[in-house]
Amino acid sequence: MEAAIEVQGAVKSFGPIRAVAGVDLVVGQDEIYGLVGPSGAGKTTLIRMICGLLKRDAGKVRVLGHPIPEEKRKVEGRLGYMPQERALYRDLSVEENLLFFGQLNGMKRDKIRKRTAEILDFMRLTHLKRHLAENLSGGEKQRLSLACALLHRPELLVLDEPTVGLDPALRQEFWKHFHELRDHGHTLLLTTHYLEEAGRCTRVGFMRAGKIQAEGAPAELRARVARVQGGTPSMEEVFLSFASTEGK
Amino acid sequence: MSAARVWAVAMRVLRQMRHDVRLIVIMLVVPSLAMILFGFSFSGDIRGVELALIDEDRTDLTSEIVNSLKSDPTFQVTELLPAQDPEKLLLSGYQAVVRFPDKFTSLYYAHFAMGVATEAHGTLHLWLDESDPQIASAIRAGIADALMDVGEGGPVEVEEHPLYGVEVRFIDSFAPAIMGYVVTFVCSLLTLLSVVREKVDGTFERLWAAPLRRGEFILGYVIAFGLVALVQSALILGIGKLVFHLVINGSVFWALTCVILFAVGNVGLGTLLSALAQTESQAILMFPLVVLPSVLLSGMLWPLQAIPAVLRPLAYMVPLTYGNRLLRAVMVKGLPPWSEPVGLAGVLIFLVFTVVLATLTLRASVKQ
Ligand SMILES: Nc1ncnc2c1ncn2[C@@H]1O[C@H](COP(=O)(O)OP(=O)(O)OP(=O)(O)O)[C@@H](O)[C@H]1O
Ligand SMILES: [Mg+2]
Repeated sequence: MEAAIEVQGAVKSFGPIRAVAGVDLVVGQDEIYGLVGPSGAGKTTLIRMICGLLKRDAGKVRVLGHPIPEEKRKVEGRLGYMPQERALYRDLSVEENLLFFGQLNGMKRDKIRKRTAEILDFMRLTHLKRHLAENLSGGEKQRLSLACALLHRPELLVLDEPTVGLDPALRQEFWKHFHELRDHGHTLLLTTHYLEEAGRCTRVGFMRAGKIQAEGAPAELRARVARVQGGTPSMEEVFLSFASTEGK
Repeated sequence: MSAARVWAVAMRVLRQMRHDVRLIVIMLVVPSLAMILFGFSFSGDIRGVELALIDEDRTDLTSEIVNSLKSDPTFQVTELLPAQDPEKLLLSGYQAVVRFPDKFTSLYYAHFAMGVATEAHGTLHLWLDESDPQIASAIRAGIADALMDVGEGGPVEVEEHPLYGVEVRFIDSFAPAIMGYVVTFVCSLLTLLSVVREKVDGTFERLWAAPLRRGEFILGYVIAFGLVALVQSALILGIGKLVFHLVINGSVFWALTCVILFAVGNVGLGTLLSALAQTESQAILMFPLVVLPSVLLSGMLWPLQAIPAVLRPLAYMVPLTYGNRLLRAVMVKGLPPWSEPVGLAGVLIFLVFTVVLATLTLRASVKQ
């Protein structure tokens, strides 16, 4: 099976800052791949390159079998991107935001209506559907933002901190939903700062200073740290270990 | 290019407006208020117009008319001896010259003697400076009043000798300028703000990750603001007609067509300027860049001939200069757009230039 995302030697600098400094990454089609790492590590920059929003300085990026950004057009309808900023039209209502992004992705109106009802229900936003996005709470905006990315059922979901600002119960449900999506053949690439969430990914990449320092299934990574430190380390301890050891 | 997505953008922009009641109110109030304010402030009473009077007839009838003119506060009447050159008088500072020729009274009464079928009538000659239509119309009204006082609108024909050009009322020549100005303001500045806000809020990122083309994005904005410009222009024309009895010599169809062409160019301009602004405050600071030249240099308030020669090349770089020229030709002179080739070419070049350039620079304006 072809990989959903293939990145080879990707580099991106902003002036003197090397935000992404040579990343190799392969995400298979049946994966939930989690990128974790300290703030400023380059996670968002890598993701924006994958979505074709940033030109890379060097390296190769392929998404769903197409080189990016050269064949971006062949990919964009099949991709759902949730930016780190909420990126909503604050002067549109909840359902109008969904309507617009649905139409942009070529959905028919009645299909949008059906999907909107479904997704608002899942996101617990139905009672707010006529409210302006700017009046939503932080978590509500976050849910609407995710809904906008999920609405057209894209094969590949690229989610930048999808669960930040959500209460634990809702995060629990989100993760259930992510696994359902995966079971239905969707691929997910996401970033998170919640390390217990990293434990629920199929694979995790620890990113630091523009590089992926370590990568593997959560159990594998725990085992690797356990060999050095002993005991049964939590993902948190794994994170701290990789963050301090310059990633062996 | 997908019509559905273009439509999606257009509808979204309009929907965003619908949520902003204040914006809608402003968009309707601004053109109405501009029309009403300018209309009233320029049709207020005019007093003390310098009027030179040459009475070559010297009868009871003419002195009655002269007295009536003298009692009208519109005029500051000076009686002069015959055999003066009226055009020289105008150039020397009088704003109007009235002359009663020597057969005025006899022809006037001949009319009554010979019955209604006759062509006979008194002819009063009027020379006036037409370049200020408000003053010119005050003079005409004052003279008509004086004639009414005397002869119940008897058989007097006023023969006008305009110093410049044809007869134009101020409001007639100003309505096209207001339309052009409102369209400039609303289309370029609201587009600028709206696009910059997409950048600030990050919705741009979503758009370009979705299957949306730059051309589709701009066309969507063009449709939404084209509709807005159409509604505003209709409002200006409606108020002009109802309240100020605006005379539109040309076709309303061509007028609105030209307004829309001009509006499209302004949407392009707004999008183009958005490439230079990263924040809403920066965008707002660009407003004077658009507004000041449009107000001062476009021929909206005073003719280009009144602009100092050093600034005139600048005036020819202001889009509204061409917009005004085109709209005035169509609405005041009653010409089809192609009979004003400079104005039409200016507007079309503006449109193509800004829309093409905006399309090319749009992607570059996403933060890198
Ligand atoms: N448009 C930009 N211009 C200049 N520098 C940038 C830009 N975008 C990112 N950077 C810099 O690149 C580095 C990586 O940023 P990035 O947003 O990828 O980090 P991140 O891993 O997503 O962090 P966080 O977890 O806080 O979201 C940072 O030092 C940031 O300041
Ligand atoms: Mg980030």
